[in-house]
This record gives sequence, structure tokens and C-alpha cells, in this order.
Amino acid sequence: MVGSALLALLIAAVFGVLVYAVTTLDDATKRERHAKAVTAQTLQLEKLMLDLDTGLRGFVLTGKRDLLGPWTSAHAALPGRLKAFRRLASTTSDERRRAESLIAAIDQYVSGYAEPVVEIARTTPAASRTAIVRVEGAQELAGIRSRFGDFLSTENALSAARTSAAQRRSDEAIAAAVAGLIASALLVTGFGLYLSRSIARPVREVADGAARLAGGDLATRLKPQGFGEVEELTNAFNRMAERLEASRRELEAQNERLRESESAKSELVSVVAHELRTPLASVLGFTSVLRQREVTDEQRREYLGIIEAQARRLAALVNDFLDVQRLEEGNLSIAKELIDVGSVVREQTELFAGQSPKHLLDVSLPETPLAVRGDSNRLAQVVANLLSNAIKYSPQGGVVRVTGKREDSIVRVSIQDEGVGIPAELQREIFGKFVRGHATAEGIEGSGLGLAISRSLVEAHGGNINFESTTGRGSTFWFELPTASPE
Amino acid sequence: MTSLPEPTAAKTVLICEDDSNLRTLVRLALGDGYRFFEAPDGPSGLALAHRTHPDLIVLDLMLPGQGGLDVLADLRRADDLAETPVIVISAWSHSDEAAIEAGADRFVAKPFDPNELRDAAVALLEDDGVPA
Repeated sequence: MVGSALLALLIAAVFGVLVYAVTTLDDATKRERHAKAVTAQTLQLEKLMLDLDTGLRGFVLTGKRDLLGPWTSAHAALPGRLKAFRRLASTTSDERRRAESLIAAIDQYVSGYAEPVVEIARTTPAASRTAIVRVEGAQELAGIRSRFGDFLSTENALSAARTSAAQRRSDEAIAAAVAGLIASALLVTGFGLYLSRSIARPVREVADGAARLAGGDLATRLKPQGFGEVEELTNAFNRMAERLEASRRELEAQNERLRESESAKSELVSVVAHELRTPLASVLGFTSVLRQREVTDEQRREYLGIIEAQARRLAALVNDFLDVQRLEEGNLSIAKELIDVGSVVREQTELFAGQSPKHLLDVSLPETPLAVRGDSNRLAQVVANLLSNAIKYSPQGGVVRVTGKREDSIVRVSIQDEGVGIPAELQREIFGKFVRGHATAEGIEGSGLGLAISRSLVEAHGGNINFESTTGRGSTFWFELPTASPE
Repeated sequence: MTSLPEPTAAKTVLICEDDSNLRTLVRLALGDGYRFFEAPDGPSGLALAHRTHPDLIVLDLMLPGQGGLDVLADLRRADDLAETPVIVISAWSHSDEAAIEAGADRFVAKPFDPNELRDAAVALLEDDGVPA
């Protein structure tokens, strides 16, 4: 901005100087022409004076009237000439003064000498005036001619001085203008370079950057440059590139999550197929044996028992799979009713108490309700799963301690067994799907989904679930739920 | 105590399968006339194979401790078990190629027809039983 203003100012100044130079030159030319005109006029006046003198001299000396011709014509022309001379030679006061002095001398000569002499010569014989005429006239004329000479030389000297001064000024002006033009050219070049650096190049870089972005290189950034709009453009470009890159990262992350979810789903389908086939193999296999082989009544009862148990296992598996599916999709509806966890624990313990004669279920609950907001059926499912695990994984029997209590703002239910415990290498993934550890080797049945479902259910209630376990000594699983705020 | 093997001595079959019902089913499928050894996981199955040198091994793939394919590879590396016929039974029905590649003689997908398993076993044992 400052640069362009400076440049405009400089170019204007250069033009000003040029105009001044041209004007000066013009002025000098006018002065010269004037000086020439004054000189010419002066010379003509001088010639007129000579004509006057020649006519006068010829007439006075000879007395012949026809010789008076030059005088007559010159005398007639003189006033006009003088008028023209006075008008011309009046550009300066000095010139006018000198011109007036010359005119006065001419007047003095004409009216004071020439006219009386001619008058006398007309009336009196020429011979008697000869000497006077010769001497006085010659003196007068010489004086006037010397004045003419002075006037002309003064005029010429003045004119020459003025012309040379004008020439000098003009030369200086032209030199200044040329210097100004060179400076302007340099400035224009510099300004062009500056424009190219501060605008054209950044704009080109933004264009290149945009092309790279369009080509997919979203990591493209421009280094800060320029100022004003160019700086804004660069900054806006970088912000756009950042947004684009962030969006792409987001998309890629989403894509990755989708892929993982897809692969988890297809793995689940595969695992489900496998888990279903195992009980199905028993159901179909024993059915075939019953149909095709000779078996005793005792064997028939045994095999039918296996078939029924495995069919039930299949049904339970299908329910577990559906639960897992709903939990993972967030489609499992959890009621938010005011319930007593204590009574849920009591009911489930009573259901399990009769199942295994080897186990003693020791229940410890406070007399006041353990109030939480939640779904009694789903919490019953969690308690049943933990009880079932405690019994299954303590095949030697023993005490299963079930405790429910209130601690500050939470309700805590723990189930402790004296069973085989969880091997250290399995403890980290025990809440994962299809994790059954050595259960299969021990002949312990299960889908491997119970703890995964239990954790999801507890978390859906805003609680958490965890355990402590020592191999060979038993495990303690507990879950905690926020107490219901009295409303 | 130790008696010479009789010419009519029953063939021995090692069943390596984690599901006890299916071990029972394999026994029923093959029928009487065999001596059965049973192992519920990979390591005990391998140990039992080394100890008993069975005439046939029925091997599940999804085994606790050591997977069936690993057990199979170990068997095939052992000098005295490399030639023992192995029937792989698995619920992973798409694992047949991997099982054959690892050295299984037959692949039977779960759920299986008891007669199909018996036929496979008979064929392998007869093959094995004919001396060169």
C-alpha cells in the first residue's frame, strides 16, 4: 500500500518536472523569438533613421527636392515604427526604459534637428547651412547610432543570458525527469517483484496446495506468509486442510470401528455356529443310536436324558446369544423400577439351594430392603449366573457365601465359593465372550457367555462387577449398584 | 500279569474330545469290540497316545489346553505315532482342509451320523490291519 502510494507520488513528481522543463524551454523559445523581433524592429528603426539622414543630407547638400524622397517616406513611416517598437520593447521595465530613452533620442533628433534643418533648407539657401548640417547632423546621428548599438547589444546580451538560463533550467529539469523516470522504472520493477512475492507467489502456493489437497494429500499445510488478505487466505487454507484431515481421520476411525464390529460379528456368528453344533451333535447322535441300535431300557433312559439336557442347553444358548446381541446393540430394555435387591438374592438362592446336595448356601442379608432402581428379572439373571458359576466351579462342594449389604451410596452383593478358582492367565479376559477356561476339561457346562451378559446387565444399571480369585482356593464375585435415591 | 497279545485282541481307540456326551457317543458309534481310552484335553490326549499307542485316534479340534491341530502335529512328529490313523471330528466344518493338511486321515463334521464315523473307523483299521 505504502509502496504503491510512493510510486504514484514519484511518477507524478517526474511528470511535474517534465512539464516544468517543457514550459521553461517554451518560455526560453518565446524570449528568444521576442529578442529577435526586438532586434529586427530596432534594425528597421535604425535603417529608417539612416533613410531620414540620407534624405536630409542629400536635400540640404544639393538643394534638390527630389533627393528629399527617402526623408519623406521615412518621416511618414516613423511614428508607426516608433509605436510598434514601443509596444514590442516593453516586456521588462528595464527594456522599456532603454527603449524610451532611444525613442526620446530619436524624437530629439527628428524634431530638434532634422525637421528644423529641412525647414530651413527649404526656405534658405543650402550653402549657408552646409557646415552646420555636416557637423551637427553627423554628431546627432552618430549619437543615435551609438544608442542603437548599445540598445541592441544590451538586448542581445540580456536575451542570451535569459536563453542560457532557460536552457540550463531546462537541462536540469530534463536531467531530474530522466533520473525520476529511471527511479520510477526501478520502483515499478521493485513493486512488481514485491507484488509477485507478496501476492502472486502466495496465491500460486495456495493453488498448488489446493491441488495437492484435491489429490488426497490432506496433510498439506502452507507456511504463514504475506499479510492482509493473502495472510487470511493462507490461514483459511490451513484451517480448511485441518478440518478436512480431521474429518478424514474421523471417517477412518468410524470405518475401522465398523470393520472391527463387522469382524467381531462374523466371529460371533462363527463361534455361535460352533457352540450350537456341539450340543446338536449329542442330540442328533444319540437320536440316531436310539433309532438304529439295540439298547437296553437303562441305556434308553440315559440317552434320552442326554438328549433332553443338550436340547435345553441349546435353548439356553440361543437365549444367551440373543441377550448378547441385544446388549451389544443397546436394544435390551432395562426397567427402572424401585426394587429390593435383597429379595432378588433371596429368591435365587432358594431356587439353587435344592440343586446340589454337596453345597451349602449361606445367605447374609440386612433386615431393611436394599433399594435400587432397576429390572428385577435382569438382576435375578445376574445373581443366578453368579450362583450357578459358584456351584459349577466348586465341584467338590463346600460353602457358597452370599452377602448383600449397603455401603455408603451403593448396594453390594458378593458370592464367594470354595472352588477351583480362576487361572491367572484367564483372569484378565474372564468377562469376555466364550471364555470358559478349563471348565470344559472339568466337564463343566456353560455357554461362556454368562459373565459377559452379567457385566453388561450390571453396567446397564449404572453399576460395576468384579472378582477376586485364587486357583485352588475359590473365587469371590461381587457387583455394586447405586442405591435408589428416595423420591 | 502281562499276557501276550492274542490274535483276536481288540483294537484300541483313543478318543480325545472335551464333551463327555460326545465321548460316549463316539464309543456307541464305533460299537463293541474296541478298547477305548478317553482324554478331555490336548495334553492328556497326547500323553495317553504315547503311553497306549492306540490303533486309531478320534480327535476333536476345539480342545482345552492344546488345540487339536497342535496335537495332530505333535503326533505326526513322533516316530512311534506318525503312522497312527487319525479321524478329526469338529464343529468347525470349514477346518477340513487344515486338518487333512496337518496329517488327519479323515475329517468328520459335527454333528455326525454315528454310522458314518463307524464306517470311517472300520475302513482305517482294516487298512492298518493288513500287514505289508
